[in-house]
Amino acid sequence: MAARPTWTGTVSFALLSVPVKLYTAVRSKDISFNQLEKSTGQRIKQKRVSSVSGEEVPGENIVKGYDLGGDRFVVIDPEELEALTPRDATNEKTIQILEFVDQDDIDPIYFEKPYYIAPDKGGARPYGLLVAAMKATNKVAVAKIVMRTKEYVAIIRPMGHFLCMETMVFADEVVSPSEVDGLPDSAMEIAEKELDMAKMLIETTAGTFDPNSYRDEYRNKVMALIEAKAAGEVYEMPKLEEAPKVIDLMAALEASLAAAKARKAA
Amino acid sequence: MSDTFVEIDGRTLKLTNLDKVLYPTGLTKGQMIDYYVRIAPRLLPQLSGRNITMVRFPNGVNDKNFFAKAIPSHAPDWIERVQLRDNAYIVCRDLSTLVFMANLAALELHVPLHRAADGQEDPDDLVFDLDPGPDTGIKECCNVALYLQELLVALGMDIRGKTSGSKGLQLYARPPAPMPYAGPNGTTAFAKRVAEGLEAQYPAQIVAKQAKELRLGKVLIDWSQNVSAKTTVSVYSLRARQEPTVSTPVTWDEIEAGANGTPLKFTFDQALERTVPWPDPPL
Repeated sequence: MAARPTWTGTVSFALLSVPVKLYTAVRSKDISFNQLEKSTGQRIKQKRVSSVSGEEVPGENIVKGYDLGGDRFVVIDPEELEALTPRDATNEKTIQILEFVDQDDIDPIYFEKPYYIAPDKGGARPYGLLVAAMKATNKVAVAKIVMRTKEYVAIIRPMGHFLCMETMVFADEVVSPSEVDGLPDSAMEIAEKELDMAKMLIETTAGTFDPNSYRDEYRNKVMALIEAKAAGEVYEMPKLEEAPKVIDLMAALEASLAAAKARKAA
Repeated sequence: MSDTFVEIDGRTLKLTNLDKVLYPTGLTKGQMIDYYVRIAPRLLPQLSGRNITMVRFPNGVNDKNFFAKAIPSHAPDWIERVQLRDNAYIVCRDLSTLVFMANLAALELHVPLHRAADGQEDPDDLVFDLDPGPDTGIKECCNVALYLQELLVALGMDIRGKTSGSKGLQLYARPPAPMPYAGPNGTTAFAKRVAEGLEAQYPAQIVAKQAKELRLGKVLIDWSQNVSAKTTVSVYSLRARQEPTVSTPVTWDEIEAGANGTPLKFTFDQALERTVPWPDPPL
């Protein structure tokens, strides 16, 4: 199945405006499990309960509180957050290129998540131009983008014949090395002979990086275990004698309209 | 000499008056048939099993037209038909039937929400036809579409929009489980309640009743097409306007942009180039 774009908009830089689509470039393959009750094999359901009364709290009675410490909280309304949510100034979805820099200037520690950038309709030519110009100058672009409700700084770099975008963490999200005990803060004095020895050891195991030669061995073993067990004993979810769930859409609609009316009156 | 014989699906069809101009833009009947051939891979799954009402314009959009429900008496035997209470209707599942209808200058194809010829009596979707009143247009329709989306998505419906090809916008909402047309939990009652609920919420922008005098400056949410006897223009059908516009699927991004004033109108050549998906009917 072809991947679906996670974002569509335009890359804008000076007079150039390139319609593009973004695709997630990395998919996690972590294995996830459901929780079951050991004796019955029934699914575990989580309930949100009051930490004081132990009573279940319905979703509409749950608000966001910021922990000030000492059991003191500031309650924030969804509307208040909404008002602060970053939006593109022009209300159009744009990836705005701010400057071009050498890739070596950016430490990989800032990289967060990669996306492929594909040209959208009418964008093929300016897109190709941007790829060629960035390759020729050996530069990568620093850009700003708003995705969903978060603003990101990202770099855009050519990758073969196309562009790739890496969102980056903000500088204040990087843990300062000074917070970590034991990181050396100056170079150690090393005798020339010792250094030669160590360099030689490195040279003997030097190769070219091939990502395909590394696998998640743990995941492979877990999957093999799951497959072996699935061939033999499978925990069948016990069927509950329960009437099929009839969704009363009309009742849901009435509730939704009433809630909207109450919001408006408030 | 503009009659041509073509072979499609192993059947021979006679195409007539291919040079006749049907739209003031100069679009000929030959080009109109060509459009339907090119859009067929996307259009046929949508028509499949539905009884079709054709709106025929034998002398172009500015001359007389007629709604043709009954299959013409001269139609070849291989054309599938379904006998309903009032008429025997054409059912179109293949390119040859589609081209046969196009050759009748059936610019517009209108269909109901259910598939009678498949023995399926429940509608696949609910339809909300957003019709702009005087002093309003596609912009206001897009705005109302966003209200509808917010309400219906929260109820578990899958909702999508297409231009009507005329002035408005049509939203199709697929319920999480099949619903009948009739009854207290049917789509007719549900769609009516949705329109009236939103009218109560946004009285300055929305009207839920057909009456003309109520509609100045407002968008009509026409819920009344959610009955088995009514039809709505099919997705990808041409419209008989002054330009050859098409009822075209649009994305929610485009509807949002439309609510901010971006025009939302697509002619047949644009519709062919676009790739916004429209889901097949459920199994």
